[in-house]
Amino acid sequence: LNLPIGAVRQRRLHRRIFAATTLLGATLLALPLRSADPPDATPKASPLFDAMKTELDRSMKTLGEQDPAAYYIGYTLTDSQRATVSGSNGALLSSDEARNRWLEVSVRTGSYELDDTHKVDSRTPPNGGPGTNAPLDDDPEVLRRAIWLETDKQYRAAAEALIKIKTGKEVKVQTEEGRAPDFSREKPETYTGPWVSFTLDRKPWEQKVRDYTRYFRQSTAVINSIVTFTANAENIMQLNTEGTHLQFGQIRYRLELFIQGKASDGMDIDRYYNFDWVNPSEAPSDKAVYAAAAQLRKEMEGLVASPLNDPTVGPALLTGRAAAVFFHEVFGHRAEGHRQKDVNEGQTFAKKVGEPILPEFLSIVDDTTMKKLGNQDLLGYYQFDDEGVAAQRVVLVDHGVLKNFEMSRSPLEGFPHSNGHGRRQIGATPVSRQGNLIVESSKMVTNAQLRAKLIELVKQQGKPYGLLIDDIAGGFTFTGRGQPQAFQVQPLVVYKVFADGRPDELVRGVDIVGTPLAALTKIVATGDTTEVFNGYCGAESGSVPVSAASPAILTSELEVQKKETSTDRPPILPPPAHDDAKSGGLQ
Amino acid sequence: MRILRLAALIFALSTASAALAQAPADNDHTLSAMRDEMARSKTRLELQIPQADQPVRPFFVEYRLLDLDVREIVAEFGALVSSNRSRIRQMSVSARVGDYKLDSSNFISEEGFRGFIGSTGDVGIDRDYDSLRQDLWIATDQAFKEAVETYSRKQAYLSSLARPSDIDDFAKVEPVQHIDPLVPSDWSNRNWEQEARDTSTALRAFPQIYESRVTYYLVYMTEYLLTSEGTEIRANHCFAAIEAGMNTLAADGMQVSHYYSSYAPRPADLPNVDTVRKGLNVAGRELMGMREASTAPDYTGPVLFEARAAAPLLAQVLSPSLSGARPPLAFQQVVDQLMNSLGARSEWSGKVGARVLPLKVSLVDDPFAKDYKGTPLIGGYSIDEEGVPAQKVSLVEDGKLQNLLMSRRPGPDFGKSNGHGRSTFLNDPSDPKPTMSNLFFTSSETVPRDDLKKKFLDACRSEKLDYCLVVRQMDNPSISLMHQEDFQELLASFGGNAATDRLPLVVYKIFPQDGHEELVRGARITGFSPRTLRNISAIGDDDFVYNYMQSQVVGLSGTALGAFGTAQSGLPASVVAPSLLFEEVEVRGARGEPKRLPLLPEPPMTPKANN
Repeated sequence: LNLPIGAVRQRRLHRRIFAATTLLGATLLALPLRSADPPDATPKASPLFDAMKTELDRSMKTLGEQDPAAYYIGYTLTDSQRATVSGSNGALLSSDEARNRWLEVSVRTGSYELDDTHKVDSRTPPNGGPGTNAPLDDDPEVLRRAIWLETDKQYRAAAEALIKIKTGKEVKVQTEEGRAPDFSREKPETYTGPWVSFTLDRKPWEQKVRDYTRYFRQSTAVINSIVTFTANAENIMQLNTEGTHLQFGQIRYRLELFIQGKASDGMDIDRYYNFDWVNPSEAPSDKAVYAAAAQLRKEMEGLVASPLNDPTVGPALLTGRAAAVFFHEVFGHRAEGHRQKDVNEGQTFAKKVGEPILPEFLSIVDDTTMKKLGNQDLLGYYQFDDEGVAAQRVVLVDHGVLKNFEMSRSPLEGFPHSNGHGRRQIGATPVSRQGNLIVESSKMVTNAQLRAKLIELVKQQGKPYGLLIDDIAGGFTFTGRGQPQAFQVQPLVVYKVFADGRPDELVRGVDIVGTPLAALTKIVATGDTTEVFNGYCGAESGSVPVSAASPAILTSELEVQKKETSTDRPPILPPPAHDDAKSGGLQ
Repeated sequence: MRILRLAALIFALSTASAALAQAPADNDHTLSAMRDEMARSKTRLELQIPQADQPVRPFFVEYRLLDLDVREIVAEFGALVSSNRSRIRQMSVSARVGDYKLDSSNFISEEGFRGFIGSTGDVGIDRDYDSLRQDLWIATDQAFKEAVETYSRKQAYLSSLARPSDIDDFAKVEPVQHIDPLVPSDWSNRNWEQEARDTSTALRAFPQIYESRVTYYLVYMTEYLLTSEGTEIRANHCFAAIEAGMNTLAADGMQVSHYYSSYAPRPADLPNVDTVRKGLNVAGRELMGMREASTAPDYTGPVLFEARAAAPLLAQVLSPSLSGARPPLAFQQVVDQLMNSLGARSEWSGKVGARVLPLKVSLVDDPFAKDYKGTPLIGGYSIDEEGVPAQKVSLVEDGKLQNLLMSRRPGPDFGKSNGHGRSTFLNDPSDPKPTMSNLFFTSSETVPRDDLKKKFLDACRSEKLDYCLVVRQMDNPSISLMHQEDFQELLASFGGNAATDRLPLVVYKIFPQDGHEELVRGARITGFSPRTLRNISAIGDDDFVYNYMQSQVVGLSGTALGAFGTAQSGLPASVVAPSLLFEEVEVRGARGEPKRLPLLPEPPMTPKANN
């Protein structure tokens, strides 16, 4: 792919977790995780706030009087504690724990109406860099020194950017979308939550990742396997010149299974599965993990032997988790507010507010206040977004009609405020991003009935088969104006469902292609069980944790094309564990 | 199908238990996994190529594995920034097709084989048999396919040349077997986190230092090498480092930086807190001096490099020229030019027998030397990264070039390795470069310290100069610069002169009239090549041991910039040299865009005796 940077966002929707945990999780053995440390009885504000406040006041006093003047300064200090235990092919790959503190400073020059972040052309405005390391020891003087230098650096970048904007010709040619202010005014938030941390004995996990990856060695189809457990505790301190003063934390645990294989024609195939949980007692049991592993292995063995599918157009059924990824890619990214503003974006939905864009039986919300859906932890949950705005439930589509966007503090005409969706990976500038995207349906049938409807549609359209898509890996979504408003989503597990009642056939090498507005209107019915995937979504503000949830959907028309394939052939020799010939013998 | 898989499983279990049966006492199955995968790769790995009657097979396969146990502790101004320990095993497999005369190596082409897993990567740290077999299997497959593809591209390229070289691609060696016992990492009973805090606290005494960072880097490693020629090695290495960088801005906005470094063969040998604090204190004071100093002028005239500066100068000037290996064939001219501008070409290659240094000077590289007059040297080893036993090499005798450092890659002068093929895993591990270990620059004719200075001042007077320059210390920007952007800026500032620009750090003007000295900042020496060393006008009777890290960053290794490494990215090396006087050196004064001073004064920093 040779496209301008930023035009294509490669979304690695690392996937989901599903039924296996919720069905089996309850009955299981005690977990090796020792537990999160109990939070302080009464949350205390970190002693570092004083140092941050002193620098904030001192900086604003001076920088607010410069030309151009700073009108906003914000500090974010993120303390992360991360344990990672990884295994591969039956052995421990690594096991370590690290702590890190990262300081980010945001300085804005100009005014809320026109500031240094104002976009005038396709270039991303230069920023002052991703931030800097801060000491782990609570030393106010050393922290102040880091804040001092970083604030100065960010002010300079913001001043330079604003001068460029004001002296540039482009600012005079304002588009309608560009008339919205550059930064929204928001109510300051104050909150002090408990400081979170965990104490973890990594030994049991070291044995588990060995055992889980050893299991995959039994299969000749699996060339490489990696299983990774991570525990991550993050405490965030935010302070800005508007009066926001926040301290909150979150612990998350994750187990990821990943295997690689190769079809006989050289196509690379990988399978992936992840478990996410918040409460240590809800860690997946061995039974649940082996069930997921067995499923991955079975899919891998099926896929390496399966035939390549030809490009087709026809009815398709997406299971809940596949549908969730589909909505994330096809709808969710286009409902991110800043994309409606940027003149280089396709602005698919910019002018569609109040108009139907989906069948009337579908509604979509993005609710980042939800910790769980059913038994499932949602990765997109948070208390405050990365601009210090409280999380909210946002109705994006109500009975088919587009109502709202995911908004950061970059306002749109008619949408003057953030709704708590300004998000970023540490080091990046926040933009509007998805959180928990939840699809609700008022036209539900059982999943069995949905399948029957698929076959009905296949017959109606005179096709030999329809497609059942069980797993999707995310993909590219083109939202830039220079590109066709198309999406390409990579389904990983696809079956042909035949009209004549033959058993389903696993096929390989298909990409879903299409245009978003058309694809969304072709949905004819949904299943009755909402399924969740949790993943990390990558876009211009980095990788952020998200969830998407949806019931299965049936669409009357979906187009698939052939996937690019690798030229590398399968390995010449059989896997060592499956080599019947005498090792090193005289052949 | 099920029966078949069951059979496979039983087979797998039986091979596993067979391996277990011959388990070594230390429970390290690394070499046995390598041996078994090598055996079947040697006999059964082959690829049928269209239009060829015979299937292609590798003539050489090499397994390298580095087991690293690393601690890294960073502190600034008395506060801990990070503290990590990690153990990883990095595997690298390389294969060659063709033959020793002409093979698939030493060719840089634009496109190459793109496998999906690759021939290098992290592997399990359990020292077990089965997982390593699996990893070696796929890596060997990828390395072999890569070699087949590169070989065909190389042949196509060579057929376009008027006169291909008659130098062999790969030198034959006697296989070596050498197995060190496994040793557990000994971090000593010192509290490294506290030491990092306590030493970095010293810089609180200088509130005008904007940024500083003290890094303790402790490494234990076990290196494994197994080749299809029969070499089998398990060797232990370790080293320890303290590196500190610090910076500030002068009143005119010029950034000034300084550094401190100390290297030792083992963590326990690192200097104690007081010694490090003293060193940091000296650097801090000098940095404050540089901050106030006037900028360096453009200057051409006599320059005295005191031993402390002469040793790092030699490290930078000589290292590319000591290599006798043939440079890689580059399909693209751009690569060729880039390597030239970085100084990767040996100026001594093809000059054996010619005078390259002053007549009384000898240059010896001795991997066996452990110390010099009691000061430990860190460049030593007994077997190089290609499994060739180390050799002491007499490079220059009485000013005449006798030898070059050789890896298994032959060159125009010599065809055999003398055990100097060195690399770290950060570089291309399958392509060790001839690299110095402990380099000794000695002269049979020396001048006592005071006489040297007198000679220097006399030269200065006779040139009728108001002042001359003395260099007390050279810079190591990979340590003194604390941000990647600063380093990139420096690289860009070299323009095409990266091969001959040198970076002095502590430079004084010395006035012959009354002998007084003034510190200057921002000087850069230009046009200083190995040829300049022929014109050394006097050599001191002193000496300095410069322990440092040769950079193995891809593209810098083997170039003049190769002398700028850090503990994380380098290969330990030592240079011993005396003070050197040159009659004419060109110095370029301070250049470049000054930065702007911060708008706010620095916040307070309270000095502390100790944490």
